[in-house]
Amino acid sequence: MTGLLATFRTSHEALRAEQTLKGGGLAVELIPVPRQIRSDCGFCLLLEAPGAALEAERLERLRACGGQDVWRVTVIPSPTSSRKEKRYERIP
Amino acid sequence: MSESRRTVDARGQACPQPVILTRKALAEGGFDLLEVLVDDASSRENVVRFAGYASCVVEGVAEEGAVSRILIRPAPAAPAVVPGRVFAAPAPAPVRVPAVPAAAGTTVLITAAGIGAGDEQLGALLMRGFLYTLTEAEEAPARIILMNGGVRLAVAGSDALVNLVRLAERGVEILACGTCLEFYQLKEALAVGRVTNMYEIAGLLLQGRTISI
Repeated sequence: MTGLLATFRTSHEALRAEQTLKGGGLAVELIPVPRQIRSDCGFCLLLEAPGAALEAERLERLRACGGQDVWRVTVIPSPTSSRKEKRYERIP
Repeated sequence: MSESRRTVDARGQACPQPVILTRKALAEGGFDLLEVLVDDASSRENVVRFAGYASCVVEGVAEEGAVSRILIRPAPAAPAVVPGRVFAAPAPAPVRVPAVPAAAGTTVLITAAGIGAGDEQLGALLMRGFLYTLTEAEEAPARIILMNGGVRLAVAGSDALVNLVRLAERGVEILACGTCLEFYQLKEALAVGRVTNMYEIAGLLLQGRTISI
């Protein structure tokens, strides 16, 4: 799975963005900011974005609703456990 | 010789009354077979589960319209017949306090829809974050018990539902208090896990490690 993760300045902004994107028909998930990422606020939005076209479109929507930093998320099987690991790559 | 039978009519009784009446009848004893009548699906499940905990055998559950007829054979008493001696009728076997078997692992007890006192929206956000983090945790809890406002997390339309479903798929047992669901009129809306009662909840909390949120 590849997806996008957006951080926000405040949790209020994250909540508002969630409502906006959900209202627009996007399946987004409000989750705690992963350990690997630093953010002013403890919550971020995660959504699936398979393929370059979808990614570009959703990246724009995340930024339009206040996304501070956006990260590309790639899920990879862990070599050490049954859990899957996520790799985060910041999109400039 | 035909078997003696006692009937407990728990129709129309709210949870946990049917379990209490069943327990009382089993403790009194003096019959071969106990028949319990209930008219509610979660009462039926709770009585059947209780019978299992009390080491009884559930011989059958017959559905007759809205009414379930549960046949319970009490746990066998101490040896009733010893060759060469005649015993009076054995005293009724004491019913064991329902010990919940295999209560290994961590129990997470959630008694509200949000975490902590303060702003409701923040509490709900923290709860969603907590449940999401559990889905990502290396070691998941064995079970999550939802009581009072906590049952709202497991009903259709809840923001936390997706994470409870993921946890259930990972093998975490989701247990929702039946009295609470009934109180909030959410019995039909429960979307993950199963309904439980105070006996099971108390049994689980008294065994193993419990984390209360």
